[in-house]
Amino acid sequence: MRDVGAPALMSFRDLTRRKSRPVPEAFGPPLRSNKRLKEILGRHYFLSRYVPGAKKVAWVTSGAPVELLRAFDFYTIYPENHSALVGAKKNGAEYCSIAESDGFSQDLCSYARIDLGHMLSGKSPAGKLPRPDLLFCSNNICQTVIYWYKTIAHELNIPLIHFDAPFVSTKQSEADVRYMAQQLLDMIPILEQVSGNVFYLNDFETILSRSQETSQTWGTILQTMRAKPAPMTIFDAFGHLAPIVSLRGLPVAHDYYNILLEELEERVALGIGAITEERYRLIWDNIAVWYKVRFLATFFAERKMNFVTATYTNAWAETTCHLDVKDPWSSMAKTYGQIILNNNLKHRMGLMRDMIKNFEVDGMVMHSTRSCKPYSVGQFDLRRALGAELNLPAVIIDADIADERVWSEQQIQTRLEAFCETLEDAAHV
Amino acid sequence: MIPNRSEYLKQQALQGQKIMGVLPALYPKELLWAFDILPAEIWDPPGDIVKANRHLQTTICPIVKQSLEFILTEPGIVNAGYLFPHTCDSLQNLGSQVKDMIGVPVPVYTFYNPKGNFNKATRAYYGDILNEFLQVLADVHGPPDIEKLRAACELGLKIDGRRIELQQARMTDRLSLNSQQYFQLIRAAEFMQPVDYLYLLNQVEIQDEPLKSHAIRFLISGILPPNDMTLSFLDDLGIGIVAEDLLAGSRRIPIATLDPPADPIEYLTDRFFLLPPCSTKAGSLDHRQQYLKKLASDSKAQAVLFNIVKFCEPELFDHRSLVKSLKNEGLPVLSLETELLPGLSGQTQTRIEAIVEMMGDEVLA
Amino acid sequence: MSNALFAGVDVGSLSTDVVLIDSAGATRAEVVFPTGINGAEAAQKAYDLALEQGGISRDQIKAVIATGYGRAAVAFASGKTTEISCHGVGAHHLFPDTGTVIDIGGQDSKVIQVDGRGRMLDFSMNDKCAAGTGRFLEVMAAQLEMNLNELSDPRHVSGESVQISSTCTVFAESEVISLLAKHTPREQIINGLQRSIVNRIWSMVISIGIQGEITITGGVAKNKGLVTVLEEKLGMHLNVPDNPQTVGALGAAHIAQRGFKDE
Repeated sequence: MRDVGAPALMSFRDLTRRKSRPVPEAFGPPLRSNKRLKEILGRHYFLSRYVPGAKKVAWVTSGAPVELLRAFDFYTIYPENHSALVGAKKNGAEYCSIAESDGFSQDLCSYARIDLGHMLSGKSPAGKLPRPDLLFCSNNICQTVIYWYKTIAHELNIPLIHFDAPFVSTKQSEADVRYMAQQLLDMIPILEQVSGNVFYLNDFETILSRSQETSQTWGTILQTMRAKPAPMTIFDAFGHLAPIVSLRGLPVAHDYYNILLEELEERVALGIGAITEERYRLIWDNIAVWYKVRFLATFFAERKMNFVTATYTNAWAETTCHLDVKDPWSSMAKTYGQIILNNNLKHRMGLMRDMIKNFEVDGMVMHSTRSCKPYSVGQFDLRRALGAELNLPAVIIDADIADERVWSEQQIQTRLEAFCETLEDAAHV
Repeated sequence: MIPNRSEYLKQQALQGQKIMGVLPALYPKELLWAFDILPAEIWDPPGDIVKANRHLQTTICPIVKQSLEFILTEPGIVNAGYLFPHTCDSLQNLGSQVKDMIGVPVPVYTFYNPKGNFNKATRAYYGDILNEFLQVLADVHGPPDIEKLRAACELGLKIDGRRIELQQARMTDRLSLNSQQYFQLIRAAEFMQPVDYLYLLNQVEIQDEPLKSHAIRFLISGILPPNDMTLSFLDDLGIGIVAEDLLAGSRRIPIATLDPPADPIEYLTDRFFLLPPCSTKAGSLDHRQQYLKKLASDSKAQAVLFNIVKFCEPELFDHRSLVKSLKNEGLPVLSLETELLPGLSGQTQTRIEAIVEMMGDEVLA
Repeated sequence: MSNALFAGVDVGSLSTDVVLIDSAGATRAEVVFPTGINGAEAAQKAYDLALEQGGISRDQIKAVIATGYGRAAVAFASGKTTEISCHGVGAHHLFPDTGTVIDIGGQDSKVIQVDGRGRMLDFSMNDKCAAGTGRFLEVMAAQLEMNLNELSDPRHVSGESVQISSTCTVFAESEVISLLAKHTPREQIINGLQRSIVNRIWSMVISIGIQGEITITGGVAKNKGLVTVLEEKLGMHLNVPDNPQTVGALGAAHIAQRGFKDE
């Protein structure tokens, strides 16, 4: 559930300024919605400059139950997005080394190092991020975020609210749900105090149901990629994921996905694919390699291969079925406690098996990332098990989400080429 | 005096003892004792990593890798299952890997340790977790005997009490053990029967008067103590480790003695919330900083040694802020990174000697 | 007392260096000798050569301090000190206003903070990997089919540069191979390599903090290109000794002299 929607999210300013790069022949026509997406995100980040003084600012992790913050009218910033943006601009190493020279080990998560580098230096490719009044994190995506956020809390001397989400080893127990629900209730007085706003259950319910609808639309959007050819690539979806992550619960995100869905359905009806010829359909596992998105997209498109599904784009659609406006606290515990990264590998295996079948996937690319242990530990076994069970060619590339210093192009290119050969051989048998 | 770990466990297994392999770090031992299960902890079993490389990337911490190697090559002494307490992201996933993907011939259990800043909800939840775990064990080993559980807690209380006494004695130079011996004693808790271990602890003599003080007094923090070669190198240089803040050591001993257990679940809950600040519980940094500063001043430590396991996120995050605050107090800090291999590299020797020279100069000045 | 002499012996991974000084602190002999596989033997030979070079008899030497990785193997030494202390003292002797010493050796690099008397206040040292050390440059020079002198040419760092992003020596090597395959000009690759190593060193310097003048020691200090880039990055002038690789031995000789005085 680590956030992936950053580049489209914040690099809009660059994109509008510079002439758009020619689309390589291998790709189909770009989505019309891209323009709308850029407007929405542009506005959100533009407004953030004028927020201090007007609204309280919260820095939030991608898996946190942000609906609760919305009820207090916090302006939310997602540092994971910001770090992904820095990574996409190939500035990851620079920000990381600022954190490293302050004593943070280079073995730590690069999203965290980039964000700490940003905090220490004030640097940002997105202009300026508003200083937080509150930090809000949940370890449902990783334990790392607690360490990261408590370091910021310590440095900036601001309150940190942590939502402890017990890992689901077999199944979520009643005690787990009770504990999480109680934590949410206990947050209300603190949020009232920090925001200066009063909590109204009615407002919260509206936000919650809007959030749920939005997530469901997002799920339907992902389902359109079951069509052959798929109307977009997973690399497009990385970008269009931004509103569901960072604007979830707001009307703008809700409305946007209806527009996007309409366009995708239209493309499916007309048979317009994301790549000009889709011969093989792939699944992507783990967070993007932000500084190599273009390289990877082109590499596969040129070989007539399209990524039609991914484990994490799915994360914002998977568990929202549990949301229930009539029972907000327990249902939020179920929704946020059971997401893919807070769930056992058996669950993940089942999810991936379904995705591979439903999306008629021919091969799997797994990104083993140094930064993210919850996403990466277990990939070797998942690959073997899925490969054996479904006779699925698969490859693992060893890289990082945002620190380009660990990328070895030669090694990775060789691996990917070998994978493509296997895929083609398998298809010819 | 201290038995060899694998010999001891082999003997226990031969006698028909139920043995559970337990991964780091925090879990209610007393519950296992009450079911006549001996926990045998797996931290850094020696040996080359071969089979584990099939399942884990190169950038995973050596505790995780060595533990998995042990599990994959274990000769059958572990007969009552494995327990994976929730410690960090890597061990969390390893538990699921072993249980759901790799498979072992014995049951695999997990135990969640709450994270973050604790409050009333955390306390209630921890009680629930204890009761759930009790039920899980009862399903396999029969209904729990409450008297036995109370007795186990009383035994645990005695061990904790003696450990606290020994820690105090160490700080005040009233133990005639060198660092290597001291850590062997502490780490024997990882595999010995509680009765045997209490006996061993009681055998250690606490002097009435302080012995000659060490040339240089160190406080150590980290997951595990350095290996034996490094410890004896420190001993030879006249460095005395007078206090420790190790996950395998004092971070698992309450900061104060408790009352005798009336209700065992209440007692174990109290005990958990009285454990010192620890990176794996992810509490506030301020709290940990204050705790370490106090430990340094109580033990009159002149320097702090961080023994960092490579790729250990919980420790590495806190490390940066702890180093800063200790240096601000004027305490020299030495950080060593370990991959848990035997031996002592030239670089490590140089680092240790350099800090001694640095402090020696300060003493001269 | 006036003809009392003192020796510093630095047994490093590549070379064994001996410096002899008199009681006024003036250098009387200086030898750089390849360490080879036997550090003890190299130390003895280098020491003999130094005595011969200075026309000095063995009994004039009042104290010998051994330093470097092979310091324990120097049988004739009267004491041993880490190269970290020695580089601090040596740099202070050459440039008395030194507050920060950057020592880049073959196997590791260190940043040392010293006080007004050259005594170490704090230090940091690279981790086990070879990035940011002389070894990194050696591997790259071999790949580029040039010697270290050619690689060090400051002209290479003035023009365009390519980004060498990998810090891992093995990965960086493969990056260089692929850049060469794409016919990237060698100067640009060299420039990229120098900048990559400087980034690592810069990070260490910042982590410990800069105070006073900065002196760079160790064999890599002879790499003019690297020094230029590092000065650029730090925005400060660096003191570069004439013989940067013998600063450790020089410091050891001064420590020998100090210790002798103390007795």
